[in-house]
Amino acid sequence: MAEAAVLDEAVEVPVTPVRRDKSVLLTVVSLAVLIVSLVLAVGIGVAASWPEIGRSVGMRLGLPVVPLPRLLDSLIWDLRLPRVLLAALVGAALAVCGAALQSVTRNSLADPYLLGVSSGASTGAVVVVVLGFAGSQLGVTGGALVGALVAFGLLMLLLKRTGLDSSRIVLTGVVVGQLFAALTSLILLSSGDADSIRAVTSWLLGSLASARWTSVAVCAVVLAVGLLVVWLCSSALDGFAFGADTASSLGIDVRTTRILLLVATSVLTAVAVAAVGAVGFVGLIVPHGVRFLVGPLHRRLLPLSAVVGAVFLVWTDALTRVLFAPLEVPVGVFTALLGVPLFLLVLRRRGEL
Amino acid sequence: MSHPARLGLALVAVLTASCTAPGGAQAPTAQSVVVDSCGKRLTFTGTPQRAVALDQSSTETLLALGVQDRMAGTANIKTKVAPKYADAYAKIPVLSPKILTAEPLRAANPDVVVSGFRELFTADRAGTRDELEALGVPTFVSAVNCPDGTTPAFERLFRDYENLGMIFGATERANQLAAEQRAIMAEVQAVKREPVKVVWVYSVFKGVPYVAGRDGMPSQISRIAGAANVFDDLPQEWPEASWEEIARRDPDVIVIGDLSERGNPGDKASEKLAMMREHPVVSQLKALKDNKVIELNGIEMDPSVRTVDALRAFAAGLDRIAGRG
Repeated sequence: MAEAAVLDEAVEVPVTPVRRDKSVLLTVVSLAVLIVSLVLAVGIGVAASWPEIGRSVGMRLGLPVVPLPRLLDSLIWDLRLPRVLLAALVGAALAVCGAALQSVTRNSLADPYLLGVSSGASTGAVVVVVLGFAGSQLGVTGGALVGALVAFGLLMLLLKRTGLDSSRIVLTGVVVGQLFAALTSLILLSSGDADSIRAVTSWLLGSLASARWTSVAVCAVVLAVGLLVVWLCSSALDGFAFGADTASSLGIDVRTTRILLLVATSVLTAVAVAAVGAVGFVGLIVPHGVRFLVGPLHRRLLPLSAVVGAVFLVWTDALTRVLFAPLEVPVGVFTALLGVPLFLLVLRRRGEL
Repeated sequence: MSHPARLGLALVAVLTASCTAPGGAQAPTAQSVVVDSCGKRLTFTGTPQRAVALDQSSTETLLALGVQDRMAGTANIKTKVAPKYADAYAKIPVLSPKILTAEPLRAANPDVVVSGFRELFTADRAGTRDELEALGVPTFVSAVNCPDGTTPAFERLFRDYENLGMIFGATERANQLAAEQRAIMAEVQAVKREPVKVVWVYSVFKGVPYVAGRDGMPSQISRIAGAANVFDDLPQEWPEASWEEIARRDPDVIVIGDLSERGNPGDKASEKLAMMREHPVVSQLKALKDNKVIELNGIEMDPSVRTVDALRAFAAGLDRIAGRG
């Protein structure tokens, strides 16, 4: 009980009016930054000037504008807009998953890919590429989604009879990840085709070039549901930080909540990875950075992580479009290149470096 | 053998106004050309004026047909374009030095997209064929990349010339090109040669050699010149092999691809040869000891308008080796 009292104090301290004001302000400011980022990012890339973007959007809104040439219009409406939106959705999903898993597993190195879901996704993608369905409509995305869900199914099967304690979740996740990584290598080696290896390698690093409205719609729905589920578990996530015993003494149904969170984060990750590949770094570092800003309470940490993750990926992807244009560098390369200095800056501001 | 390309020709027809189009929405005019290309039926109501080629072999094919003034861009040129096309090539915008993605492709406003490979049409690359079709942009894929199991690779190459010739209104040049290349094939085939076993080493990546299997051009090149590819049992284009397996199959002649224009370490034929001379097993091969080695330009081993150059050089190499005794 003494422990619980300490915990109560720890939980109460940050909820002073001052902190709450600051957190509301931060949320409002970050949302504004997100909206501005989305708008600005649409204008970044080949062709597509602002008047042209205005005309393309205006056409959809039924405004009396001069129609754009068909291909230029499709560049803006079918490629650029969904790409920017998908970057935001995926960034948000990865950051929230990272934050939740860091608490569930009590491991600050946890990221959305810890549980082997992304390895399953690559196995699925490789199978599709090697079998030669890569050009089809569902193609790599469908294969990756199936692979991710199979990996997640295996994970839950292996965890079925256990108490779901943190280290077991981590170890089982790592084992599942290793298994699927080995399967991927095996398939790639036996196919022995340099071209398919290259295709899969670049897919693994993550690219938003394949963004279309369908993937935006799927990700938006899954993100909305997933975010809500994880957010409703906020107080449980706070409790998990102190260990399973403390959490259950606080009245949290540890096992059920953990299963719920594992399902939610895995499905979110699966959909994100299937849409754009395994974009690294966002899910690991964004939650840490945000924790420095607003403290460890998940009620604030989760929404702000989502927004910061979204803004971060929107800008990194915009950079990949222009820096080496017309070459496209996988966005995963830039998330780390850009993220490391930003993270160090936050650390320094906090006086921890 | 009469021209199998004509017999096996994919449906290519100049429709007259009296014909009804399958969709019915756009009745083809007297000038429209319909070409089947790797699973898609392409309809052209006029000659394309802004073609984009997605890779080196389709770029060189279009240049060989002399339609460079109707090209809006190229991409993904891995080595130098053949010297005879260099001037024409210099005038065409390079949309991307590597694989072209959907945004710059659409920004180039093409009216046809020509590719040597189906795989270049995915959502994260040039966009899918369906998307481009919906935007009114036909997508041509080389017949070489679309094997039907019966037509030999060279004939599929000639089928491309014929189809592209119709699309671009360059039928005469296309027929001339096919005729020239058929003549070279016939010329090589006419010479009686000792039946030799040959291995084609294309590249060595991380110490592992990639050799010619059954599905690429070298297999047919070997047959035309009266030789046999030792890896004809592998149903792939460039499968990876082991040095030991190459030694076990004991080829009479070794062909080495020179990719020095690509410029990666180990791409030069001399580097590959040195590697083989140092290998404890391969260095013992009779072909290597007797220096029965033919160096060819690696890019010409892939299907393109330049493949006949590899055929000619290979035959010349065989004759040189045989003449030397």
